Amino acid sequence: MSIEKGKISSQQLLFLIAGFVQGSALLIDFAVGITEHQTWMVIIAGLIITAPVVLSYVLLSKMFPGMNLIQINDMVYGPFLGKAVSLYYIFFFMMTLSFNVRDVGELYMTFLVEDMPFVFLLVVFAATCAYAATKGLEVLARISHLFVVSGLFVIISNFILLIDQMDFSNFLPLFELPFIRIFQGIHIMSVIPFGETVVFLMIMGCLNRTELAAKSTFFGLLIGAVSLLGVAVRNTAVLGKTQTIWTSTSFQSIRLINIGTVLTRMDFLVGIAQTVLVFLKCSIFFYVLSAALGQLFGLTSYLPLVLPIAGIEVIIAATVFQSPVDHAMITQNAGIIYSVPLIFIFPLLSIVIARIRGLPKPEGGKEA
Amino acid sequence: MRKKTCLSMVKLVLYFFMMLTLSGCLGAREINDLEIVIGMGVDKGEGGQISLTAQIVNVSSSGGGPSSSGGGGEGKPFWNVSSKGDSIFEAVRQITHMTGNRLFISHNQAVIFGNDIAAEGLQKYLDFFLRAHEMRPTALILVAEDKASDVMDAKPETEKYPALNIAKLVETYGFTSHLYKVNMKDFASSLMSGTTAQIAPLLSIVKEEESEDIYVSGMVVFKDGKMVGKLNHDEARGLLWVLGKVESGVLDVSLPDGKGKAILEIMKAKGQVTPVMEDDKIAFQIKIKAETSLSEQTTTENLATNEMFEKIQEASAEIIHQEIMAAFDKSKEFNADIFGFGEMLHKKYSEQWKKIEKNWDEIYPTIQLNINAETKIIKTDLLKKPVSPKKEEK
Repeated sequence: MSIEKGKISSQQLLFLIAGFVQGSALLIDFAVGITEHQTWMVIIAGLIITAPVVLSYVLLSKMFPGMNLIQINDMVYGPFLGKAVSLYYIFFFMMTLSFNVRDVGELYMTFLVEDMPFVFLLVVFAATCAYAATKGLEVLARISHLFVVSGLFVIISNFILLIDQMDFSNFLPLFELPFIRIFQGIHIMSVIPFGETVVFLMIMGCLNRTELAAKSTFFGLLIGAVSLLGVAVRNTAVLGKTQTIWTSTSFQSIRLINIGTVLTRMDFLVGIAQTVLVFLKCSIFFYVLSAALGQLFGLTSYLPLVLPIAGIEVIIAATVFQSPVDHAMITQNAGIIYSVPLIFIFPLLSIVIARIRGLPKPEGGKEA
Repeated sequence: MRKKTCLSMVKLVLYFFMMLTLSGCLGAREINDLEIVIGMGVDKGEGGQISLTAQIVNVSSSGGGPSSSGGGGEGKPFWNVSSKGDSIFEAVRQITHMTGNRLFISHNQAVIFGNDIAAEGLQKYLDFFLRAHEMRPTALILVAEDKASDVMDAKPETEKYPALNIAKLVETYGFTSHLYKVNMKDFASSLMSGTTAQIAPLLSIVKEEESEDIYVSGMVVFKDGKMVGKLNHDEARGLLWVLGKVESGVLDVSLPDGKGKAILEIMKAKGQVTPVMEDDKIAFQIKIKAETSLSEQTTTENLATNEMFEKIQEASAEIIHQEIMAAFDKSKEFNADIFGFGEMLHKKYSEQWKKIEKNWDEIYPTIQLNINAETKIIKTDLLKKPVSPKKEEK
């Protein structure tokens, strides 16, 4: 029996996915240092590579209607191996969530409230996300419309405000970097903004109608990718060669906005938009993590888990990295390696195994 | 029921407690505790130390309230405070010994480097200004002909603050296009390109009997962050023609018959550069299109005729040609690629560029410029004929 009783529409799924991908808008900085002015093509390549994989999640979810990832793992891999795979997923959710929480903390510490104690920022943010997660999936789905639209608004308005400072020759020469760097960039893109949508395997089972699921998922990814592309193109066009040196390229380009010496210092816009979008992403992660753990332990509700998880997340976020440099190094190099099997291999493997074993059995019983 | 009331009471107390503790006063800085910096100057001090001058707004005297009419007299609207240190940041913090407050550099308009710092190289002094989170990447970079602190002391007549005056001088470069504003981000960007030389406006002081005035006397050229020479006004405009940054300005055209001059105002200008690489020969096709208006003439002859227009247009195009060549000759002399020609080649011929990038310094003086300048007079303003005695009119 699934732990979530709520239902969402496929349109809501679209906005949830779009908002989730948009939430990674500042994380493209992980790739910018590697792919420089070719970041935009890395984003497109990442989307092209990841879209079929994400669509396979829809397929998997359709094969097991009404079930979430943990239940599917149990059915496909059996109770023991299935639990192990689920634990691996939960580890991934847990780490990724804490990294995102830490990102918000670092953003605030560097650009907005320098003197604020780091842990305090993390606690406030994690508590807000945890609160949102306790409200359930339906509420998250309902607010996602607003968040995606406001995220798009900020990205588009920033683009327009900076248009006079853009130099599109910054994209030339088109193909310059060695393939290995492009490959690394594509890897980062396909894992971080797009691949993390594997969390939706916990959510897709709650769709009230599954016919449009594939379409919604694809368009959600597309809206997210276009947002990321807008951000990447803006940063490269405005900052040119310097885009590799800044702690946050987006913030730096926004700081250049100067319309008639009146419209300046628009950093807060990015601050607000980013907080809102990362909030949506982290809330989804919180929800998914709590639901996954609750399902794993066979609880009837995930609510008692939310608060302890929030505490654990804050502790991980505050202690696991020594500095932002450490954070970037580990995410760029290790983070994208351990998540590859979860994003690319297990879902596909599950589909193949389910086909071979003829799952789910018509009775839908808990056979091992 | 009772339990519910109790719970809501607890909540109420909790909210009240949170209101007091989470009201966001942490790290607050009141306006009267801020030392608002509007300009900074960096000079070389004794013993190789950095001498930093910060121009701080004197809030109490610049208020313009009753104090200004009360004849308080001494209250200068700004305070130039200097300190020394081995690094910029150290010097910035040393200032607190004099001000008692931390500098608030978020409103800093301009960073002026002294001549000796520019000669030594800006690269190592730039880091702080790019890294400090209060600093804006839009702050301007300038170089003083001698000491930066002197430039910041010269009080302008109409503007209260020297730093704001300096920023204004540069921001309005478009009137003459004899200089160009360069901000932190632009400077960093050309420094990172590897082959492009950096430029920054040069500030000089004209001393007259009692007053001292600041003016921008040209542009300083840097190579790898080190000052290598200066461009005068015409050469600077020659550079801007190629970069497509000319906004307006005056073209002083001597008439072919030697009788007087036609003075044109540049209304609109466009520059386009196309690199051409054939075998080992590198050339740049430079196309300049300018629209002008006849703003003044010093001859009695009516210049507003098609024949005269053609002659003036030809002569003015020649001036543009000369200005560009003057800038190019100067850059060859410094062996500094101020136009960013190397970067243009890199963008168009990235494969070949890899081979020649290392030898760019040797190649640069050998490149060819094919300049094609066209000007067009689009209006004659309020007059269609000059004011002249009737007898001389033909």
